[in-house]
Amino acid sequence: MSQSSFIEATLRSFARAFAKALVSERAGSQTGLLQWFDPRVRVIGVSVLVVSGIVCQRLAVVAAVFGLAIAIASGSRLSLSTLATRVWLVVLGFTGVIAVPAIFLTPGRPLLTVPGVFSISEPGLKTATLLVLRSETAATLTATLVLCTPWMHVLKALRSLRLPAEIVTMLAMTHRYIFLLIETANQMFESRQSRAVGTLTGPEKRRMTARTAGVLLSKSVELSHEVYLAMLSRGFDGEVRLLCDFRLKAHDYIGLFGFLSAGAFTVWVGR
Amino acid sequence: MHIPDGYLSPSTCATLYAFSMSGWYLALRRVKRALATRTIPLISVFAAFSFVIMMFNIPLPGGTTGHALGVTIAAIVLGPWGSILAVSVALAIQALFFGDGGITTLGANCFNMAIVGSLVAYGVYRALSSRSEVTARRRVVAAGVAGYISINIAAFLTALEFGIQPMLFHDTGGTPLYAPYPLHVAIPAMMIGHLTFAGLAEALIAAGMVSYLQRADVGLLRGAQDFLSTSTPLVSADVRSSSPTQLWWIVGCLMVCTPAGILAAGAAWGEWSSADMANPHTRAYIEAVSGNHKVTQSVPAGLQKWSTVWTAPFPAYAPRFIKSPAFGYLLSAIFGVGLLVLAAALAARITRRAREPESQS
Amino acid sequence: MIETPLTFDIGGVSFDYEGIAAIRNLSLQIGKGERIALLGANGSGKSTLLRILDGLYFPKAGFVNFQGEALTPERLQRDGFALTFRREVALVFQNPDVQLFNPTVFDEVAYGPLQLRWEKEELIRRVGEIMAFMGILDLKERSPYRLSGGEKKRVALASVLVLDPDVLLLDEPTVALDPRSQSQIVDLIQQWRGTNKTVVTATHQLEIVEDIADRVLVLEAGTVIAAGTPSEVLSNEQLLVRANLVHSHRHSHGGVVHSHPHRHGHSHDEHAHGPSERP
Repeated sequence: MSQSSFIEATLRSFARAFAKALVSERAGSQTGLLQWFDPRVRVIGVSVLVVSGIVCQRLAVVAAVFGLAIAIASGSRLSLSTLATRVWLVVLGFTGVIAVPAIFLTPGRPLLTVPGVFSISEPGLKTATLLVLRSETAATLTATLVLCTPWMHVLKALRSLRLPAEIVTMLAMTHRYIFLLIETANQMFESRQSRAVGTLTGPEKRRMTARTAGVLLSKSVELSHEVYLAMLSRGFDGEVRLLCDFRLKAHDYIGLFGFLSAGAFTVWVGR
Repeated sequence: MHIPDGYLSPSTCATLYAFSMSGWYLALRRVKRALATRTIPLISVFAAFSFVIMMFNIPLPGGTTGHALGVTIAAIVLGPWGSILAVSVALAIQALFFGDGGITTLGANCFNMAIVGSLVAYGVYRALSSRSEVTARRRVVAAGVAGYISINIAAFLTALEFGIQPMLFHDTGGTPLYAPYPLHVAIPAMMIGHLTFAGLAEALIAAGMVSYLQRADVGLLRGAQDFLSTSTPLVSADVRSSSPTQLWWIVGCLMVCTPAGILAAGAAWGEWSSADMANPHTRAYIEAVSGNHKVTQSVPAGLQKWSTVWTAPFPAYAPRFIKSPAFGYLLSAIFGVGLLVLAAALAARITRRAREPESQS
Repeated sequence: MIETPLTFDIGGVSFDYEGIAAIRNLSLQIGKGERIALLGANGSGKSTLLRILDGLYFPKAGFVNFQGEALTPERLQRDGFALTFRREVALVFQNPDVQLFNPTVFDEVAYGPLQLRWEKEELIRRVGEIMAFMGILDLKERSPYRLSGGEKKRVALASVLVLDPDVLLLDEPTVALDPRSQSQIVDLIQQWRGTNKTVVTATHQLEIVEDIADRVLVLEAGTVIAAGTPSEVLSNEQLLVRANLVHSHRHSHGGVVHSHPHRHGHSHDEHAHGPSERP
C-alpha cells in the first residue's frame, strides 16, 4: 500500500459526500412526480412503500415494488444512470457480498451441482434474490426521496409527523456542519499530502491520523461553543421554534391515498 | 456494521426501534437537564464530528486500513448520554441522506452502535482509568481497550440480530426471508472482521486521540469546568457522577438479556432453550435465572439434533473452523470478558463507596 | 430636560477567558446614536468586550448597564427583558460559519424573528424585504456552506438587520472579504450615521476607521489605552505602534538601514453613494 493511499482514500470519500449533496440540490429543484407532492406526503408515501417491500414475502411482489420504485424515480427526473451509479451498484457491492454465499450455503433442493466444488440450491437462489431486491428497492425509494426533496423539507415533514423539534433541529444543524468539518479535515489532509517528506512509518501514520482527528475535535467543540453564543444572541431560549408552512392540496390527498393503497395491496398480496 | 434494509424482519426492526426509542428518550432528557440550552449546538457539532471520523481511513498495523465509529471518544468527552445522541444523529444522517445503513434498520443500528456502544465504551473507560490523573498513560490504554471491547460487543449484537433471522423468519418452504445465515455462520463472519480490523481501528483512534488531547487540550478530557470560564459547565458533574450506577445496571441487563433473548425466542419453539444446555456458558445463565437450580447435563433425545447445532451446519460446505467447539468458546470468552469488566467495575465501585463517602467520579 | 440614559455604561469590568485576563478594569460609555470603533490587534479584547456588551459573557468584576439598568444573567432569564434586549442589540460575529447555523439562507434570516415569536405572515414579509435590501433573494434556498465569503457576510448581516435593532455590534466585519464586499459593508455602516442606530465596530483595519466611526477607542491587552476622534488617533504613530496596529518596516537605502512605522493606507476622495447600490 503506497504511503499516502489511506489519505487519498479518505479524501475521495470527502469528495463523494460533496458530490452527493450537489446532486441532491439539483434534482430537488426540478419539477417531477415526487416533487409534485407535499413533503409530508412524500415522506409517508416512501416510508409506506419501503416497509411494505420489507414485509411482503413473495419474490414477485417485491420485484413489482422495485419496478414501482424505478418508475417513481424516473418520473421524478432522476436519470437511471444516476440511480445506477449512486444507488444500485453501491448496494449490490455490499449486499452482493453477503447474498452471494447464501446461494451456495443455504440447505435445500439443489439446482445445480458441481460435485465436490459447490451446489446451488433453490432456496439459496431465492433468498439471495430476495435480499438483493429488497435492499435495492428500499435504497431506490429512500434515495429518490432524499435526492428530490431539500433536506430541510424532509426534516420539517418529519417534524409535522411528530418527531421532536429538538431532534429535527439537531439533524438540520448536524447536516449543515458536516460539510464545514469535511472541508476542514480535507484541508488538513491535503496539506499533509503535499508535504511529501518521504514515507511515513506505520506508527507515524497512525499518530498523524489521531492528531488530525484531535485537532478536528478541538475545532468542533470550539465551534459548538461559538454557535451556542450566536444562537443566544439571536434570542434562543431553549425552546425550538420552526417555520413549517406546508399546505396540503387536493392532489396531495390523492397521492397519499395512492401510496397507502399501494402499500396495503403489496402487503396483502405478498403475504 | 451498518445493517441495510431487508436483512432484518419487520418484527426485529420494530423491537429494536422500541429499544432505541427508550434509549433516545432517556438520553435526551438527561442531556437537556444537564446542558439546558447548550444541548443542541453541542450534540449537533459532535454528531458532525462523529460522522466525519467514520469517513477516515485509519492505517492499521499490517498495511491495511479500517474505519472507526468515534463512539469511544464521544463517550469520553460527552459522557454516555450525549454520546448516544451524537452517534445516533450521525447514523441517522448516514442512513437518510447518504444511504449508508437502512431506514427500517436505523433502530437496530443505533441500538448496537450508538446506545450499547456508548454505554460499554464509557463504562469500560471509567472502570479502567478509575481515579488516575487525566494526563496519565493509563487513560490512553483505557480508551483503547474501551474502544476495542465496545466495537466488538456492537458487532456481536449485530451478528446475533442477523443470526436469529433464518431461524425465526422463513417461508413455508424453509427459505430464509431475511438474513440467511444462522448464528454459527453470522457470528464468526462478523466477529473476525471486527476483532481484527474495525475493533483495532476504533481502539487506535480512541487511544490516539486521548493521547493527543492530554497534550493539546486537556480540558476536553476533563469535560466539565475547564471548558469555559463563563461558569456554565459543559457537562455538569452531576450527570457524570450520578449516572454510573444506573449505567452499570443498564449495561449489565443488556449483556444478560441478550442471550436470554435467544432463550426467549426459542422458548416459543420449545426446543431452542435446551440447545443452550450444550453450551456451558449459557448454562450458567440459565442456572442463575432459574434460582440456581442445576440444569440437566443430558439433552433430551428429541432435541438431540439441536445439541449438534454447533458442529453440523452444512457438512459439505462449511469450513472446518466453524465446526470447532473452540469457536463457540472464543465467542463466549468475548462475552465473558465483557462480564468480567462489568463485575470488576462494580466491585471497584462498591469498595470505593465503602472506603469513603460519596464523591465525584 | 429629560436625560436619555446612556446606551452602555460600563465601569471597572474584568473578565477572564480560559484562565487568562481578557478584559482588565475597563470602563466605557456609549451614547445613543454614536458610532464607535474599537481599535486593537488580535487578542486585545475587542471580541470579548463585544460579547460582554451583548450579554453573552458576564464580567467577574465591575458593572454593565444597558439603558440605565444592569445587564445580568438573572435579568436575561426573565422573558420580557430577554425578548426586548435580543431584538434591540445585535452582534455580528467575526466567523460567519458560526453565525450561519441554519440549513438554508431563508431559515437563517427567519431565525431571529421566529425566536422572538413574531407572527408568521409578518415574519415572512419582513424576511423577504430584508433579503431584497441585502441583495440575497436569489440565495434563498441555498445552504450556507456553498456561499462565498461576501455572500455569507451579507446573509449574516441580513439575519440581524431583520430585527431592526437599535444597537449593532460588529466584530471585524470586513476581515477576509474581497474589496468589493468590504466596501459594501463600509457603505452600510456609513448609512447609519445620523440615524438613531448605535454602532460599535471592532476592527484592526485602520483604513476603514474614518468611514465607520465618529469616536475611536484603542484597546491593548484588555484595557482602553486611548480615545479620541479618528483623525486624532490615526495620526498618533506611537500609539498605533504600541497597540500593534502598525508594524515597523525595515528597509535599506544604499548601505543605510532604518526602520519607521508603516501602515497600509488608501487614498480617500469624496464621492456620493447611492442609498442601495448592490451588485
